[in-house]
Amino acid sequence: MSAVAAAGRTVAFERRHALALAGFKGPRAAEWAGLQGLPLPPAANRFARSADGGLLVARLGAAEFFIEAAAGGARIIAPLRAALAARPPGVYPVLREDWGFRLGGDAVHEVLAQVCNVDFAALTLSSMGVVMTLMVGVAVIVIPEAATAGGPDEARGGGRCYGIWCDPTFGAYLGEALKTVVEGGGGIIIGESK
Amino acid sequence: MMYRLPPQPGEWLDRSTALEFTFEGRTFSGYAGDTISSALAAAGLPYLARSFKYHRPRGLLSYANHDSNALFQVDGVPNVRGDVTPLAHGMRVTAVNTFGGLERDKARLLGRLGAFLPVGFYYKAFHSKRWFPRWERMFRVLTGLGTVSLAAPRLQTPKRYAHCDVLVIGAGPSGLAAALEAARQGARVALVDEAARPGGGAFGRVASAAGEREALAALARELRDTPQVEYLPGTVAVGYYADHWVALAEPTRLTKVRARAVVCATGVIEQPAVFRNNDTPGVMLASGALRLIARHGVAPGRRVVIVAANAEAYEACLELKARGVEVAAIVDFRAPADAAAADAAAGDGAAACAAAGVRVVAGHAPYAAVAGADGALRALEYVPIDVHGRIAAGAAQRIDCDAVLMSVGWAGAAQLALQAGATLRYAPELQQFVPQDLPAGTFVTGRLNGIYELAGRIADGRRGGAAAARFAGASGEFQGAFDAAPGAAAHVMRCPSHPFPIVDHPLGKNFVDFDEDLHIKDLENAAREGFDSSELLKRFSTVGMGPSQGKHSNLNALRILARHLGVTVGSLGLTTARPMVQPVPLKLMAGRSFQPERRTPLDALHAAAGAAWMPAGNWRRPEYYARAGETRAASIAAEVAAVRHAVGLIDVGTLGKIEIYGPEAGEFLDRVYAGNYADLAVGMSRYALMLDEAGVIIDDGVVARLAPDAFYFSTTTGGSATVFRELLRWNALWGLDCALVNVTGHRAAVNFAGPKSRAILEGLTDIDLAPSRFPFLGVREGQVAGISARVLRVGFVGEWGYEIHVPASGIPAVWRALLAAGAAHGIRPFGVEAQRVLRLEKGHLIVAQDTDGLTDPIQANALWAVSARKRFFVGGRSLAILRQRPPRQVLVGIEIDAGATVPKECHLIIERGEIAGRVTSITTSATLGRTIGLALVAPALAAPGSRLTIRVDGGAIVAARVVPTPFYDPKNMRQRAEAS
Repeated sequence: MSAVAAAGRTVAFERRHALALAGFKGPRAAEWAGLQGLPLPPAANRFARSADGGLLVARLGAAEFFIEAAAGGARIIAPLRAALAARPPGVYPVLREDWGFRLGGDAVHEVLAQVCNVDFAALTLSSMGVVMTLMVGVAVIVIPEAATAGGPDEARGGGRCYGIWCDPTFGAYLGEALKTVVEGGGGIIIGESK
Repeated sequence: MMYRLPPQPGEWLDRSTALEFTFEGRTFSGYAGDTISSALAAAGLPYLARSFKYHRPRGLLSYANHDSNALFQVDGVPNVRGDVTPLAHGMRVTAVNTFGGLERDKARLLGRLGAFLPVGFYYKAFHSKRWFPRWERMFRVLTGLGTVSLAAPRLQTPKRYAHCDVLVIGAGPSGLAAALEAARQGARVALVDEAARPGGGAFGRVASAAGEREALAALARELRDTPQVEYLPGTVAVGYYADHWVALAEPTRLTKVRARAVVCATGVIEQPAVFRNNDTPGVMLASGALRLIARHGVAPGRRVVIVAANAEAYEACLELKARGVEVAAIVDFRAPADAAAADAAAGDGAAACAAAGVRVVAGHAPYAAVAGADGALRALEYVPIDVHGRIAAGAAQRIDCDAVLMSVGWAGAAQLALQAGATLRYAPELQQFVPQDLPAGTFVTGRLNGIYELAGRIADGRRGGAAAARFAGASGEFQGAFDAAPGAAAHVMRCPSHPFPIVDHPLGKNFVDFDEDLHIKDLENAAREGFDSSELLKRFSTVGMGPSQGKHSNLNALRILARHLGVTVGSLGLTTARPMVQPVPLKLMAGRSFQPERRTPLDALHAAAGAAWMPAGNWRRPEYYARAGETRAASIAAEVAAVRHAVGLIDVGTLGKIEIYGPEAGEFLDRVYAGNYADLAVGMSRYALMLDEAGVIIDDGVVARLAPDAFYFSTTTGGSATVFRELLRWNALWGLDCALVNVTGHRAAVNFAGPKSRAILEGLTDIDLAPSRFPFLGVREGQVAGISARVLRVGFVGEWGYEIHVPASGIPAVWRALLAAGAAHGIRPFGVEAQRVLRLEKGHLIVAQDTDGLTDPIQANALWAVSARKRFFVGGRSLAILRQRPPRQVLVGIEIDAGATVPKECHLIIERGEIAGRVTSITTSATLGRTIGLALVAPALAAPGSRLTIRVDGGAIVAARVVPTPFYDPKNMRQRAEAS
């Protein structure tokens, strides 16, 4: 609960562009995901990653899936979207144009405490949990990430990192609100990754 | 008079740092570590404040923020709590509630009018209608505390959430023990306390037993060494809400804590003795005086008298003596034998005081405080009192003194526990309310639990902390019982509170509630008038309704009421405890505000094009596009003209957009909309009206069929979230085989409309736009400007046009391409205002503007959108009933007489002096050369040709007539192939 600006505590924030996203839902969505070779989260509100970490599959509720491929993921996403457009039985496409952000650092929880009432500090990476909640009044998907090279906390000795996704029409507002909180606590804005 | 002592052991001051401040225009100095109150006390002023009603001089009373004597205006901020606010260099402090300053307060004359201002007088006066405006002006001047500056800046404070396993409220001995034990058990613990340092009032005593001092010091050391306990000093728990959600007011922010379990170690609040002039500056609570001397080195006076009824009084005496303060006498309510017996059980404090040369006068009660010409205390009169509470007024004696410390008893600080849902019972052996039943997850420890001995408080704290940790799911081991019998006799070695420390006087002014200036007679008179329950007494007399919310007055008020009624205190019950426990600055309640705003992906392009913004629900949209040399009206008119004669482009991305898939998707739409959709052909669209179960119009849109089992439909901008939620709810009830996908934000859309729209679009799309291949209301999928698109032929603005829907990231390319292609044809982007004009010229209604909370399709002349043959749709049954009776109002087109003042929306239609309707939409149409609108009118006025009278601003009357709609292109020729 102590201030972000305490000596040695940092937090960093960036917006991520050009996300490669896809989504689908329906009574046979899980079965279809397996047929496509996607890593399948074991239960609702859980996520799974491909072995190389390049593909994130989040299960939003029982029968809806949110997919993000890492940079260069068009070769995965485009065929997936094409397959969905063909409308396999019991599987319906969900257009995803979300804005993505990353928030991290050893003081990230002080920032999150000001914008969201979820106890992120109590989440463990191993639980592979997907959090769907409101952040500054905006519906968001939040997934904890292990610190990655090039991530906002790379040079700061660790700390937790979170991927945050939202409806694109709320993206500008969410980004500005988070920037205000981060800067107000002495954090840094990394900018925008391509 | 109070004065500063030499440095005291353990004081909170930094005497090397002097701080200068002003009070009432005079300069004083204090030290770093002082509060405003302690610095003023050290300055030796005769009084610091004026009381609420009688404007009597007042000094410090509780020094615990439990009274309103110490509220000050500081640097323009009203009602700063001097007892707990740190002194800062340069502070400008003034008293509140004065007229002409503290010393020359003009309103002090009200004190002499007391006889005319009895309890509840305002209910019986000021009722003359003729005189009331005068009284109202007087109230606005005289009442209230502090002055609000309208120029005060808005301060944003960062609200935050927090989580813990166990929240401990109160860092006295039992709270410290509870927090440390809970941490030992493995719980995440947060410990909050209003004071700047832990330990409570017991900490810092020099005269207490060495073992007790060491026990407290050990707790403080352990706290420092236990990082699992998050300690928040200077923090007040102000409200306890459902599911252990507690609001914490810190100096610079509000924190909302969700705990799994809460320990209320909030202690007790010292209660005043009630006697004549007990509000004289110099009369204060003993615990307050001890805090003042231990923390800030300020002595309560040079010759102190202690009014006693418990062992704490004698402890206070020994503490003062140890610090070099003269104690002239102790006046003890209790009979000599009772006092001796009680103090023998508590460690012979009386004997120690007597040995220290302090005169102890048992069996006597304070009768009146005597003030000098400067308003400060000069002496105390005291009288014999028997075991029944009868005094011998004729035997009054006087003792000179400049400080009277009251130590007669305590009331549990149970407000938070009560808010949590605890029930209390009155424990006669303690003369205190103690917990009876606690809700699951709420625990009480220490003196609030009726345990007064230090060892017992610490042990009870450990018990409560362990129980809370266990409840929260921690799994450590605890050797001891988890349950306590609150206030059990085993803990009661001596009663800490007098049952009736209240002494009447024929001249009154024996204050029960210092905040509200209520004395004994006020409460007795209220009871005599029939306000004889705790709730009624409170509301009629206002006892307990001041800033301290009854902390120093509720218990004595109950005692007075109980004696008047001849019942026990316990039988009366307590008034309801509600948040906030302490006053909270509004800046903390407001905090940093978050107002979500939505923007379409074209936002930056609109800004670059000169958009003048307007809010549309939680979206921002261009009202119009400003151009150099054009007024707002001219820009809007030009945008309308562009659509009518060339082509215009508007961002309609704010519309709700929903997809529905599945074998029963058509059936679902048939149920939720009033029209027919299961039989809609693939590739076609249809207007859709949504009703609620009462048959009232709640939304509208367009449904397009993409495939036998796939539809794409729109909602109003403001209705998208509500409609989607409602649709999910309906399908959860019906369980139809279909799935809904809300793509409102993920798809963007533009409306490209005007006689030249087809020709221009043909060059940008692979869709065949020939009218025979793409009729009015058709829907096609293809590419526009290289972006995958759904294109609908719609006619909202009354011209040949296309609504182009693409994924959000693709719309900027489409927008740029259309503008570029249309540049040679006079294209203009148009905004919301131009669209309103265009649709009004076509007579198209806007839901929630041209309809209200009762408008059904009959009233809206929209039965054409309602299926006559469907077996069921939401609202259908109600509509069938409504068809049997005449409508209450009807939506009609109107035309204002030429040259008349243009009415505004919501101006009323008046018929024979009665309201007969209102204008819902209005515009002066350059296209039509007249002022037109829509109005809801009484059915008798709805026939075309009917004359209407509309009352406009200022009461003038404007004439109009009912005309058929659409006003523009009534035969829809603009949608025919010849038109494009």
